[in-house]
Amino acid sequence: MLHQFSYHRPDSLDEALGLLSAHGDRARVFAGGTDLFVNVRAGLLRPQHVVDLKAIEALQDLSWTESEGLSIGACVTVNRLIEHDAVRDRFSLLAIAATELATFQLRNRATVVGNLVTASPCGDMGGALLALGGQVVLLSADGERTLALAEFITGVKQTLIRPNEIVARVVVPNQWSGAAAGYRKLKRIKGHDLGVVSVSMAKHPLGLRVAISSAAPTPLLLPEMQLETDLATVQSHARQMISPIDDVRASAEYRAFMVDVFIRRLFESIPTPGAAAQEVSA
Amino acid sequence: MRLVRCVINQRDYDRTVADHLTAVGFLREDLGLTGTKVGCGAGECGACTIIVDGRAVNACLMLAAELDGTVVQTIEGEASGGELSPIQRAFDRNHAVQCGFCTSGMVMTVKDLLQRNPHPSRQEVIEGIEGNFCRCTGYEQIIEAVLDAAANPTGDRADAAVTKDDAHV
Repeated sequence: MLHQFSYHRPDSLDEALGLLSAHGDRARVFAGGTDLFVNVRAGLLRPQHVVDLKAIEALQDLSWTESEGLSIGACVTVNRLIEHDAVRDRFSLLAIAATELATFQLRNRATVVGNLVTASPCGDMGGALLALGGQVVLLSADGERTLALAEFITGVKQTLIRPNEIVARVVVPNQWSGAAAGYRKLKRIKGHDLGVVSVSMAKHPLGLRVAISSAAPTPLLLPEMQLETDLATVQSHARQMISPIDDVRASAEYRAFMVDVFIRRLFESIPTPGAAAQEVSA
Repeated sequence: MRLVRCVINQRDYDRTVADHLTAVGFLREDLGLTGTKVGCGAGECGACTIIVDGRAVNACLMLAAELDGTVVQTIEGEASGGELSPIQRAFDRNHAVQCGFCTSGMVMTVKDLLQRNPHPSRQEVIEGIEGNFCRCTGYEQIIEAVLDAAANPTGDRADAAVTKDDAHV
């Protein structure tokens, strides 16, 4: 049983943003509800107004364009992302990471944007979207602003979102389209679990990107490296940046160790663009 | 309070519900459809799995208000005219039901899985039921039942046909 609140289902952005301006901290938006209602049940949140964004058509948009890249609206579920052709063809890292997120039923409700706004250090989408240069588009009655995802998430469950704002969508620019990529997630069991630690890696003619989750208060993006960078250098960058903690799921030492292992496994298994051609000429 | 109009197990419903009522609370408390269970209430165990507009979801993390305008299937819609469905018969044949608490959600998940993927591999079955916990840990029999249901989609495997009366569900 949940506490009493008022449910709102606006069908326009103006109406939704108006509700947030009117109710401020007493209101919470939701799309999937897979974090909101868990937190409400646990007594961590007690909103008086719950604003369901799913009837707003613009927020359901999931599309790819030559000019902008991939646009993931606030209400796009994780399973819709996985099923989308442009995601599989151009941004396979997103689909690979998304498949590791919770269970099939939850992925039918949970949204990609929600996974970012929750800003859990172990979120599955944060690392993948950091590696692909994701940008967050925020909307309020005052207007729109765009932030790099790397700036947007500031700490454990902390973001730069203001009480009267929503994340309308996440944009993945085309720059890293077609990157060869992989995701490794350490779990306590073979079934669904929160990540004990996870690593995303993308190799593209532009360079090498590595993002790490559950090893710092926020998902981390290592500085972009050249494709020719050797494994030891990549691992050393990671060691310098992570600040893992001891908790019930793993020790800091084990997390650091597994970051090293996952970087090696990904580094060795993801094909390097152009490498095959080089071998032939050599 | 708000009006919810929806179709559940091919029957029209038109009810007034509290804003904060969950979908599973609505099914169980308001409509008496207690086949759908509440396990963890937090989207971990899958006991509350129902199918809304063709997609399996956890009814514990959904509001009744969100069901307005939807088409829903719960475990009560699975058997028809006293006849168990092919999936239910496969569960019975393979002894996939122990205490039975997870079974309603499990059957809904399997129904959704077989609609998307009529011939899953063993590994795909294991991954497909990842969101449903069986605390009796009778997973092997459940996996066998799903593979059996996929191999016998009409459920009429002659040597093992059962009726609702002799299947203890």
